[in-house]
Amino acid sequence: MKSLKITNLKKRFKNINAVNGISLEINEGEIIGIIGRSGAGKSTLLRMINRLVQPSEGSIEFDDINITSLKGKALRKWRSECAMIFQQFNLVERIDVLTNVLIGSLGRNYNFLNLIGVFSKKEKINALKNLDRFDLSEKALQKAGTLSGGQQQRVAIARALMQKPKILLADEPISSLDPKNAQRVMDDMLKINREDGITIICNLHSLDVAKKYCDRLIGLSDGRVVFDGAPDDLTTEISKELYDIDNE
Amino acid sequence: MSEIFIENHNQKLKDLIFKRRLWNIFIIISLLIAVLLSSSIIDINSSRLLNGLPRLGDYISQILPSLDSSSLFLDSNKEGSIAYWYFNLPKYLKLLFETFNMALLATIIGSSIALLLSFLSAKNTAPNSFIYFMTRRTLEFFRGVPEIIFAILFVWALGIGPIAGIIAMTLHTTGSLGKLFSEVHENSDIKPREALKASGGNWPSEMKFGLLPQVLPNLISYTLLRFEINIRASTILGFVGAGGIGQELYLVINFNYYEEVSAIILLIILTVISIDLLSEYLRKNVIEVDNVR
Amino acid sequence: MSDKEIINLHPRIFYPLWKRSPLSIITSLLIFLYIIFSINYFNFSIEDLLNGFSKMKPILYSMVNWNDFLSWNFNSILIGILQTLAMAFLGTLAASIISIPLGLMASRQVVRISFPRFIIRRFLDFIRGVDILIWALIFVRAFGLGPFSGVLAIFVADTGTLSKLYSEAADNSDNKQIEGLTSSGANKLSTLRFGLIPQVMPIFISQSLYFFESNSRSAVILGIVGAGGIGLQLSERMKAQYWDQAFFIIIIILIMVAAIDRLSRFLREKIINI
Repeated sequence: MKSLKITNLKKRFKNINAVNGISLEINEGEIIGIIGRSGAGKSTLLRMINRLVQPSEGSIEFDDINITSLKGKALRKWRSECAMIFQQFNLVERIDVLTNVLIGSLGRNYNFLNLIGVFSKKEKINALKNLDRFDLSEKALQKAGTLSGGQQQRVAIARALMQKPKILLADEPISSLDPKNAQRVMDDMLKINREDGITIICNLHSLDVAKKYCDRLIGLSDGRVVFDGAPDDLTTEISKELYDIDNE
Repeated sequence: MSEIFIENHNQKLKDLIFKRRLWNIFIIISLLIAVLLSSSIIDINSSRLLNGLPRLGDYISQILPSLDSSSLFLDSNKEGSIAYWYFNLPKYLKLLFETFNMALLATIIGSSIALLLSFLSAKNTAPNSFIYFMTRRTLEFFRGVPEIIFAILFVWALGIGPIAGIIAMTLHTTGSLGKLFSEVHENSDIKPREALKASGGNWPSEMKFGLLPQVLPNLISYTLLRFEINIRASTILGFVGAGGIGQELYLVINFNYYEEVSAIILLIILTVISIDLLSEYLRKNVIEVDNVR
Repeated sequence: MSDKEIINLHPRIFYPLWKRSPLSIITSLLIFLYIIFSINYFNFSIEDLLNGFSKMKPILYSMVNWNDFLSWNFNSILIGILQTLAMAFLGTLAASIISIPLGLMASRQVVRISFPRFIIRRFLDFIRGVDILIWALIFVRAFGLGPFSGVLAIFVADTGTLSKLYSEAADNSDNKQIEGLTSSGANKLSTLRFGLIPQVMPIFISQSLYFFESNSRSAVILGIVGAGGIGLQLSERMKAQYWDQAFFIIIIILIMVAAIDRLSRFLREKIINI
């Protein structure tokens, strides 16, 4: 059983401690919801896991490999095993959906022909299969920018699947979506967790959604963990502290 | 009470208007002083202007063709026909073709080198600040030195002919486009690149899929504009021996082949205007430029 | 779903490269063929190029070895710079002033009938089509060598471009202010003065400043064909092969242009805020 061990992780921006000593252990196959208000350190924490942001102190380990000290090719390999989806989908709007999904395979399986836009038949079939899981394969040749928000996010998930990842990091994936599309995206994430066994770590600002979909909730406040447990154990007092309702 | 308020207000208004008037007068006086200073440095006086005007009129009437409406469309032996005016047309067309190719080649090579260097001189894609600084300064040098100076240099080193002009224009194009391209990169959206990085892509993939799709229409638009400018430039680099129709124009002006001067100038104007129109058409209708930023 | 089925459902995706994006293939091919054609057409030979570049070695050497620095004629260089600046200044000023009436005459707002407007516009196009250097050659013939011809060349060439810019700015100005004035009974001239001109004035001034900047560059170039100023100083030293002095002058020119750049940008920002 591979687990992600985070030990005393800290991140300092100028004189603000965005993440102030977080220690966690995340097991394979869990769906983790990270909750807390804006500025609590959720996004920074997530981005330290795939090293888009460099930790100031502390360490992250996966399967006994020290993630925090990886460099170059090894770092890229880690990033290919640890996929990420974003609040604003981060697709390339001008190019078609299929190529957007194929981009996900570049970390895992790169050859220089990719640079002129040529991908192998095998990868194209993979991409189409992934799109098909979300009922989006007819849109394969449409420009990504023409799709709706919900569709774009699901294309992003298909792109993430191309990486054959062990972990999926989701940074506020539904914050830009309406409730119906948000539910569809969360359902799809649940599906890939149950069917493919991918560990999901998801930043959410909606407590209801988090309670509904996640096996385990981690509440952050001011860069520290103030709650770590099952959704049912989240009392109203702790919710209030997380979202600082009384002090607003 | 309210009368005092209004009086204060009026006074403030008067002060403002007074200040404004004072400022305007100051500007006008400084301009006048500048004009006087400049005129004395250049030694302009009205007598020179007046003496020169009739000479200008003479010159213009000499270079204008003597076309006769009765013989307009006769062949080139008859004075007064268009064919007589343009008897050297085959030579001009050959030179125009050379001029066109000079500009085209310089634009193609210059823009390619500029593209490569632009990655090094954009803050968000340069590998480190030393390379950024050196590349930026180099590009500024090639952009700041007028092409004609490079042309003189290369004519001296490589001999008279279009190659000197091509190299001069290529250097200038590289500098100018390099700067413009890197500005486009700096204004681009980082999100697609972030996604590529997060999925384990290497630097070339990040550029090809994360940056280029966004910036390519702008790059092509700037390159077409540059081509317009290079066409203009290549018509005059010939003045210093760098080939093309400019060389011929310089010759006919110096040897006072009057009617050929107007013939060539007219051809140049027509060429420049057509390329301008073609480029404008391509930029407006074929390329989708990202204006919503 | 099996692989074969997928391929059959989306045939276009599995076409070979040349079928999927023919445009990029054709463009790349054309460019490649064109380069081969040019190498032939211009008689490029690596030998000639290498010979030429070895001739340039002494030039590069003297660019960094300034032996007799103190004995150079700095006076002529200083006067050259002043002449060039004066050329650019007078030419831009004259062109700005004349372009205002010309630009207004070429604009829809002022001249309602299209025929006279058309004539004026073609006339301006003609002036713009002739490169400033050609004007300089013509004026040197008529008025002799020296910066005077340069001023005239800048004046004529800029009038063409500035007038077009002004007329476009006038065309794009907000109609509402003008209509408001007309409907309250103002005559044509007053409408212009209070309705149109206040809107376009900042653009006029800003453009003129921009042109002063670009004209100082042109003035340098004009000097090379005989219009005096620092351009003439530079070309004389290059003809005499004093490469070190030539390089020095080039640096001075770059500094001068950069300084004017800054000044112009500073003034233009102030204008926007007035």
